[in-house]
Amino acid sequence: MAKRRMRLLSIFAGFVSGLGLCASAPGAVEFNRDIRPILSDRCFSCHGPDAASKKIQLRLDSETAMMADLGGRRAVVPGDPAKSVLIQRISHEKAALRMPPAYSPFKLSDREIELLKQWVTEGAQWQKHWSLNPPARPELPRVRDAAWPRNAVDHFVLSKLEREGLQPNPAIDKAGLLRRVSLDLTGLPPTLAELDAFLSDNAATAYERQVDRLLASPRYGERMAARWLDVARYADTNGYQTDGERSMWRWRDWVIRAFNSNMPFDRFTIEQIAGDLLPNPTRDQIIATGFNRNHRGNGEGGIVPEEYMVEYAADRLETMSTVWLGVTMGCSRCHNHKYDPLTQKDYYSLFAYFNNIPDRGRYFKFGNTPPFEPAPTPDQEQRLAQLESRLAEAKQRFDGMKTRMETGQREWQRSLAAARPVEWSVSDGLKLHVPLSGKQFDGTAAHDAGKASPFGYTNSFSISAWIYPTAASGSIVTRGKDAVEESGIVLALDNGKLRWDLAARWLDDALRVETKETISLHQWHHILATYSGTKLAEGIRIYIDGKEAPLNINLDELNQEFRSGEPWRIGGGGGSLYKGRIEDVRLYARALGAGEAEMQALRKPLHEVATMHGKAAQSKLHFAYLEDHADADVREAWKHYRDLRYQRDAYVASFPTVMVMREMAKPRETFLLLRGAYDKPGERVSRNVPAALHPLPGGAPANRLGLAQWLVDPANPLTARAIVNRFWQMYFGTGIVKTVEDLGAQGEWPSHPELLDWLATEFVRTGWDVKAIQKAIVMSATYQQSSRVSPDLVQRDPENRLLARGPRVRLPAETVRDQALAVSGLLKERIGGPSVKPYQPAGLWTELTGGEDYKRDAGDGLYRRSLYTFWKRTSPPPAMMNFDAAGRETCIVRENRTNTPLQALNLMNDVTYLEAARKLAERMMKEGGRAPSERIAYGYRLTTSRVPRPREIEVLLGNYRNRLDYYQTNPEAARMLLKQGDSPRDESLDASEVAAFANVASLILNLDETITKQ
Amino acid sequence: MKPMSHPLQLTRRHFFSRTSTGAGVAAMASLLGERAHGEAGLPGIPHHAARAKRVIYLFMSGGPSQMELFDYKPNLEKWRGTDLPDSVRMGQRLTGMTAAQSKFPVVQSMFQFRQHGQTGAWASELVPHTGKIADKLCFIKSMHTEAINHDPAVTFFQTGFQLAGRPSIGSWLSYGLGSENSDLPSFVVMISSTGKGDQPLYDRVWGSGFLPSRYQGVKFRSGGEPVLYLTNPEGMPADGRRRFLDDLAKLNQMQVEENGDPEISTRIAQYEMAYRMQTSVPDLTDLTKEPESTYQLYGEDARKPNTFARNCLLARRMAERGVRFIQLFHRGWDHHNNLPENIVKLSKDTDQAAAGLVTDLDRRGLLKDTMVVWGGEFGRTVYCQGKLTKEDYGRDHHPRCFTMWMAGGGAKAGYTHGATDDYSYNITENPVHVHDLHATILHALGIDHLKLTYKFQGRHFRLTDIHGKVVKELLG
Repeated sequence: MAKRRMRLLSIFAGFVSGLGLCASAPGAVEFNRDIRPILSDRCFSCHGPDAASKKIQLRLDSETAMMADLGGRRAVVPGDPAKSVLIQRISHEKAALRMPPAYSPFKLSDREIELLKQWVTEGAQWQKHWSLNPPARPELPRVRDAAWPRNAVDHFVLSKLEREGLQPNPAIDKAGLLRRVSLDLTGLPPTLAELDAFLSDNAATAYERQVDRLLASPRYGERMAARWLDVARYADTNGYQTDGERSMWRWRDWVIRAFNSNMPFDRFTIEQIAGDLLPNPTRDQIIATGFNRNHRGNGEGGIVPEEYMVEYAADRLETMSTVWLGVTMGCSRCHNHKYDPLTQKDYYSLFAYFNNIPDRGRYFKFGNTPPFEPAPTPDQEQRLAQLESRLAEAKQRFDGMKTRMETGQREWQRSLAAARPVEWSVSDGLKLHVPLSGKQFDGTAAHDAGKASPFGYTNSFSISAWIYPTAASGSIVTRGKDAVEESGIVLALDNGKLRWDLAARWLDDALRVETKETISLHQWHHILATYSGTKLAEGIRIYIDGKEAPLNINLDELNQEFRSGEPWRIGGGGGSLYKGRIEDVRLYARALGAGEAEMQALRKPLHEVATMHGKAAQSKLHFAYLEDHADADVREAWKHYRDLRYQRDAYVASFPTVMVMREMAKPRETFLLLRGAYDKPGERVSRNVPAALHPLPGGAPANRLGLAQWLVDPANPLTARAIVNRFWQMYFGTGIVKTVEDLGAQGEWPSHPELLDWLATEFVRTGWDVKAIQKAIVMSATYQQSSRVSPDLVQRDPENRLLARGPRVRLPAETVRDQALAVSGLLKERIGGPSVKPYQPAGLWTELTGGEDYKRDAGDGLYRRSLYTFWKRTSPPPAMMNFDAAGRETCIVRENRTNTPLQALNLMNDVTYLEAARKLAERMMKEGGRAPSERIAYGYRLTTSRVPRPREIEVLLGNYRNRLDYYQTNPEAARMLLKQGDSPRDESLDASEVAAFANVASLILNLDETITKQ
Repeated sequence: MKPMSHPLQLTRRHFFSRTSTGAGVAAMASLLGERAHGEAGLPGIPHHAARAKRVIYLFMSGGPSQMELFDYKPNLEKWRGTDLPDSVRMGQRLTGMTAAQSKFPVVQSMFQFRQHGQTGAWASELVPHTGKIADKLCFIKSMHTEAINHDPAVTFFQTGFQLAGRPSIGSWLSYGLGSENSDLPSFVVMISSTGKGDQPLYDRVWGSGFLPSRYQGVKFRSGGEPVLYLTNPEGMPADGRRRFLDDLAKLNQMQVEENGDPEISTRIAQYEMAYRMQTSVPDLTDLTKEPESTYQLYGEDARKPNTFARNCLLARRMAERGVRFIQLFHRGWDHHNNLPENIVKLSKDTDQAAAGLVTDLDRRGLLKDTMVVWGGEFGRTVYCQGKLTKEDYGRDHHPRCFTMWMAGGGAKAGYTHGATDDYSYNITENPVHVHDLHATILHALGIDHLKLTYKFQGRHFRLTDIHGKVVKELLG
């Protein structure tokens, strides 16, 4: 009874104090907690750091400004609300003079006005914004119930509860605890064996052992990575209009490994921000920098590249600010920050760190855009090493034949003069040879060379020909629509210059180069044009008469496939006809090199070549001999060596790549951009960190590496707080500062400021030990409370900010699915690898683009953890989005949870869950015993980790019997229901029974309890 | 701890307080067995008397050419083939597609114009049906935008910002106004297309940005299930599903009693709404009772799924059922080349149905509180992109002026607002920016665009960013 009264009293107190989170009882006004949020939210947008831009004199964001004498009037006169203009104006009886003005969306409540008055009356004590002071390690507060705390965390939580007159909940039962912590640390529920082991372990350290086991599980890295992918806006496509595929999964796998190896968070930071700038960076350290290339990239035709260069750098800087600092830097892009002491110049000084990479404003529509690096997997590296050693062996064998070869070649050369003239030309990679001997082109028709070898965008290829032009312009070799400036390949003479076009569409999707020099008419020339499949003009070479010709790059905007269904045309196509002779046209499926160009340009019989000097002649003889005339052993050894080399090169080319950060040798200048517009540069700025924050550490280089060191400098007041606050959010659903994206003036006051600071300082003290800080959270008594809640407490603290109960939070999107896969036995566990395409309703991609639809995988790809699901930004997986997954277009740090009918439909009718129900039903029947009630209890426990109560079994059993009746009289319906999903059905089980159990399993998978961590 | 004894009393407060991220009043009302009127909006809204209760937005994706449809420029005929004078272009930026062109030859519309109705509004032969209802329409000849490429331009029109991350207009309205129907989503999206290779769309343009995801648009699809996962699997008959839901509710209710978290009650209500959607959506999309006259009005295309005409008809049916924001996208207006051929096709796809929709709403008395908006993300250039031949030309993107129209819901009928120069290149009077249009639509719905805000990253965001003014002249 007394207890009940106590609770009622505390409820009353709760109403008055607004949950004790925003304001408190008379006599205890604290500026940062009670006053700053009001001033910031309702006043700063005009009377804040950016007041000058509105020509407003009064500022309320600093103590001096607020107390300043403005012509005999002062906004705040400490101790005297009547003389304080601030108080006069906010409580003015004339609406026209009252602040905030009527036209603004803001109002002050009576209570807020009272608070401000009280604050002035009490002396108007000012405080610097809390998050800008470095966290000081707080003393553990004393608590009355000294038996309750299990670690430091609990002291802070309990002392607050005691102040609020509340008691913590009893501990959750063991089974529930293991489910909670398994879902939290690994994203998967415990198996029954794990559960039983824990339940029978009565040692005091039993729970800690489980926590250690889970932290050591490779699933831990996957679970932690899932949230990091959200903040890093990781995806498998480029975003924007075309939203073509990119490849960043090697970066994703780096993140998983980093968490699993418990990489200290400072190193985790430095490698992702500036791994490329570390001394002798490893491949992994370079892959880590993919973090800053995960932003979207625009490949739309017609964009202004400079505009997007700015957007990319802005995205990098704003993402970094949100993720590490919890600061809304984006607010300073167009003007000084309205709420926090961050200037527009600060913004561009940070921008300058990210504005110096050799990227392009216009991204490739498909694939990775430079700079990127090959990023072989460990398996691939191993296979490469094997290939290299085979290659070395082959080379050794070939080199071992040197003497024999030289002797043989000398003999052969001597025989040449006597023999019939022999020609030789590079044949390796040759796909098409059109001799055209003696053919005259008179400018009336082209020669149709057929449709073989339709080279395209990502192929490397070469065109080699002999030409004897009699007119200065005309197409030599083309493949594409026969009209000027159409799509396709055009190699042509253009006013004496050799011009090469590769185009998907003029003008915005094409590449055009031309030689600087003209070539002479009425003479034979050898021409060789090569394209290395790099999509860029830098991958183009043109050789004239064996020498590389300097090129003008007139267009370098190629962005799509240019492969054409038209035939190869010689002497025409591209809307222009050639006059003169063209002979010996050769198309190669590789980019020939400079040495080969020289050899090709020597069109003489070999016996004449043998009389010549020079490298080209020597090479030609050597290769001619090797390929066609050496004895069989030598030829074989050479071909073996050469083929292995190609194999190696092709293998290297097949490696996944990852977009990375790189510095340009000559730094790009950075300017403050007026109103944030790319084409309105203002003053020049250099790299620096915001003046309101701590300075760069001594000796820090003036580049991203210095910036990264600054982020994890112990003097940084924000980083550790921002990070542990988000960790807290992972476990409790809400951060200690609820606005995890904003620890600034507009952010929420922390529910437990000292706890936040303790965690932050502990994190740094332990050397940024990520696993240790997770462990501290889950080992706390706070975390181990039951989540049961009384109506009183729900009213008093609906969001559980006081932590008088354990967390009860709907599972993240990926865990909802992963759990269903796990309990049904469908889950295929494997760390990393290219993204996979599980079930998705047909047609979603096509509806948006008219193009190709999502093509789902068969086999394992259907059952991998959701972290590996292919993420298309403009059409993300609906079953993830229904459960509030971050969209991955921009950095998202806040975890959001809604409760919608679409979620219900998703769980009831998505093939993923229907298949899982079917397989769970089979497990129930095969592993759960004989009686239906046993089987039901088994499935229930598999999914929720707890034994169902009799009345729960009763409901499920009722459902089972009802459905069994139905399916026994309608066997066809059972067959239809069991069709869901690719996984085979266990035909030894009776279909009606499986179908009835599948209904029960689906019920279990749809329970609120199932999709909730509680 | 004693489990709570009256969970519903608790949950009622929970819902009405809006502190929960769960379902709102709608779900609660149905949970309590009350007649559901939908979900309430924000307190204080409407800010003033609303003229419109709902919006049907016909988005012409790709950017229709104003010169071929509504913005009649007779002088262009004599200037055909001449370069666009620098005095008109004034150094404005062009897209990367034509910036490198050596010439900018102007080209007139190949299509004949005439004046319509009592107000004499100009419309071309491409849009005869729209012409016929000109007296019901409010034309804005002086729209302009900031973006010059599709993705940022569509995103700008839909969210008030060129980059991803902000809520779409429909999400803002769901958030601010709530829903009029508890069995259907309050914000629905439908997409139609003419053919392959049209400009793609992106889920974000009906996304909820930083608003909770429950405010995002729900896509109604033409093939397969109208709403994702709506249909029970084969082998799960309706009575089986009902039984399933009853049993699920029982089990979840046991959890309510055991645990006390009101989110569980919300979950129960969401399953009930899902069940109602399973009935209400097929009812909505079942056209068997539509009379022949419907197809005379909307066109024969309305008989076929995945057409703009079908979606217009569905839009009317949604409006009747109180869906708040109905957004149609028709893709394919991006006529860089072969404009004469393509625009005929696109006009045929859309003209009759759009006009039919307005007429139908009017006949049913719905036009007075339903605002229909027609338009693309930008206009097109007066100069030719690519080859200019006798028969053929193309036009590039033009953000500096283009035409939109509105009807109903307070839009001033038979009125034309704004004007452009003789080249349809610059606005000569009454420019209307995208933010202004947004402010005006919100105003018609009873919302002060300055006051519909959501705090995110410390800032009170608005659909209209920090801009926008209500164009009162557009409202009758």
